[in-house]
Amino acid sequence: MNAGEPVLPLVRGLVDHDGRLVEADPRLHDLNTRAGGSLGEPVAVPQLARLARLTQRLGILVSRGIVAADGPGDLELWVRAEPVAAGVSLTITGWADRAPWTGADAIGDSDHAALAADADWHWETDSALRLTFLTPDVGARHGFDADMLLGAPLTGLFALGEDKSGGFPILGGLALRERFEDQPATLRATGEAVRLAARPRSDARGDFAGFIGAVTVERAAPKADAHTIDDASGAFAVRLDSALRSPLGRIIANADSINAQSEGPLRQDYADYAADIASAARHLMGLVDDLVDLQAIERADFHVATENIDLADLARRAAGLLAVRAADTKVRIDKPTLGEALPAIGEFRRVLQILVNLIGNAVRYSPEGGVIWVRAEREGDLAAIIVADQGKGIAFDDQTRIFEKFERVDPREPGGSGLGLYIARRLARAMGGDIAVDSAPGQGARFVLTLPVQDPATA
Amino acid sequence: MSIHDRASQSGGPATASALLARAAAADLRADRRLATSIDDFFLAGDGRLDDRVRAGLSATLEALVGAIEAAIRAHAARLLAARGLATLAGAVGSGAPVALDRLLAAGLMRDPAVMHELIGRVRQGLIAEALPIEAASGGAGGRADQPSLLARLSRHPDHVVATSAVALLATESRRKAPLLAGATTRTDLPAAIQQRLIWWVAATLREAEAPEGTANTEQLDRALAESAQRSIAAHDEGDRLEAAATRLAVALDPRAEELADLLAEALADQRLSLFIALLGHALGLHYADMRDIVLDPDAERLWLVLRALELDRPAIARVGLALCEADPRRDVEQFADSLDAIVAVDPAQARAAIAPLLLHPEYRAAVLAIARGAKA
Repeated sequence: MNAGEPVLPLVRGLVDHDGRLVEADPRLHDLNTRAGGSLGEPVAVPQLARLARLTQRLGILVSRGIVAADGPGDLELWVRAEPVAAGVSLTITGWADRAPWTGADAIGDSDHAALAADADWHWETDSALRLTFLTPDVGARHGFDADMLLGAPLTGLFALGEDKSGGFPILGGLALRERFEDQPATLRATGEAVRLAARPRSDARGDFAGFIGAVTVERAAPKADAHTIDDASGAFAVRLDSALRSPLGRIIANADSINAQSEGPLRQDYADYAADIASAARHLMGLVDDLVDLQAIERADFHVATENIDLADLARRAAGLLAVRAADTKVRIDKPTLGEALPAIGEFRRVLQILVNLIGNAVRYSPEGGVIWVRAEREGDLAAIIVADQGKGIAFDDQTRIFEKFERVDPREPGGSGLGLYIARRLARAMGGDIAVDSAPGQGARFVLTLPVQDPATA
Repeated sequence: MSIHDRASQSGGPATASALLARAAAADLRADRRLATSIDDFFLAGDGRLDDRVRAGLSATLEALVGAIEAAIRAHAARLLAARGLATLAGAVGSGAPVALDRLLAAGLMRDPAVMHELIGRVRQGLIAEALPIEAASGGAGGRADQPSLLARLSRHPDHVVATSAVALLATESRRKAPLLAGATTRTDLPAAIQQRLIWWVAATLREAEAPEGTANTEQLDRALAESAQRSIAAHDEGDRLEAAATRLAVALDPRAEELADLLAEALADQRLSLFIALLGHALGLHYADMRDIVLDPDAERLWLVLRALELDRPAIARVGLALCEADPRRDVEQFADSLDAIVAVDPAQARAAIAPLLLHPEYRAAVLAIARGAKA
């Protein structure tokens, strides 16, 4: 997302009646030149030429987002083409390299569902923050006339409150036209506490056209009815499995076979879409796995097995599982040598899961050609595995945040659900251990998993 | 995936005998598959559904029939329980949905009136969703933070306009939110079609819950029929999105010179329903007929309608551009080519050309039927 970047000045140009570019600001001129054109010649960027021609024939203003090839990459431009006496004037706002597909955003774009995993209902506004959509049964659910609020300002429905740091996330979202989360609010009609999350939508010129948002009702005391929640979540995990995992599995398998063109030849761009579909579905599948874990570890009766394990051996296995992914980015994993042993107590499967998560993160954030060190050490009563990378590191302020639900080391990074570290730490703590991090920006990060050491008498 | 494939998915556990039986029938199946493939290849390109419409149609059909079935089952179960038939009530109340599969298998869903309505509705939704939004400031050169069209109208000083705008926002919300089976009985269908579907569903339930020779068939029939009648009585056509849009158009009753801006704004706010209703109101044409004209990708009738309402070149260009951007079946280059010819049509000529559209719909249907017969 480019919302945080400084706003670029407008880029202007003029195309005459014969489709020749007669005036152009430097950026447009450069783009046109790189495409093989020059001033006084027909516009060389085909999408711009087509837009100018269309505008002239229709005789009205046409605004469009277009994607133009520029060197090896693609450029995303918001173009406003307006007929004027001398031809067609072009005004280009937004001038961005086209971002490669990133998990979180691409999913969020499609509908309400991805906004907040635990959302209770949804709302939408226009650019003036007037409500234009409310989940239909919300009035019945909370006991007020929701229909009458349609068309009213968002603040007629919610009284917005400050968050923990005294800020209003919605204001940041509004100013930067980006998604915001955890905006505390109360329902004016009932006084119930809720949290708001939303993402912006834009119109054909790239201008802000309103928010698409979700509401999560704050549940005061989840422990009060822990029993029913537990029952529900157990069933939920089972349902999640059948309702999501198997269809996702089918999507991945089918998309992969389309991509491999196993049923016959296919236009290359369609085959590439299939790869996108498969990768998005794999991302979803990972999220489903995480959610199932999350459901499990948040249950009151969650427990881990107590087994005698060899942490050094587990570290080698985890590193082995990630060897292919690491090799893709030419990252080397320096793991404990064969024969090295570090007896500890924990659940084999869960510890492996934690280590795969830690080393997987290290692979993801390592620069190409980097090294990841995985060391097994004993520190008094604790057995420790240290995973250190040469990535960009984590600012001190972020070091607690990354262990929270749905937080990411770097939210702009593609892939990942933001649940991995949260789950990993919960698991480590359930086994009597912990995960700690120390890092500084630019210095790489070091994650330390500690578990109780195995008493030699029980070995 | 085609909606017709549903039945074949529910195979039981694989056994050796089942495998042998399937192998024995393989020839027949291959033959049938080939026939379908041949039919598929020779289908005329014109009028074929694209994948989005197909998917939307499957989902809508499933949700609507599911909602109707759930409502009938729930009420019939209550009636049966009250009449002391607890076992039957339990079976009716908690049975797995059967209606859609049965209706598809029986070919009833091929009913032209039902499909016409559903396809129109799905297309209208998809096109509306794809219309390029314009933040309201761009429309009439207003302020940057001007609310969108319906939000503005919902606070209109004219009470009738304000209420109708709120009602349209509410019905659009309802249409847009996914129909949850059981959670809602609002199918938002025209009464005649709603009624037909309800009786069909009730009939499939009778078949599913009372295989031949079951006792209490009479009681079941009574409960299902009463439950169906209750669903029919609860349906209010005035609650429909289409009715709400029409009411707002009537309340606004724009003057000729206001119409062009209002039409453009309705499209820029993704309110295709209001666009259709405004045109329908201006011409005195029923919503459903106007929707057919607006959704028709060939659009000649729509251009004539716009000319008959004396829209000028820029206004028609704006409408055409928005519809071309939103509907993959339309070609903007072709539209640009024909724009001059469209504008050259004199409003009086246009009015004469569309006069047959304004005839009584039943009369037009009859004329069409005779013409179809004459060609055959």
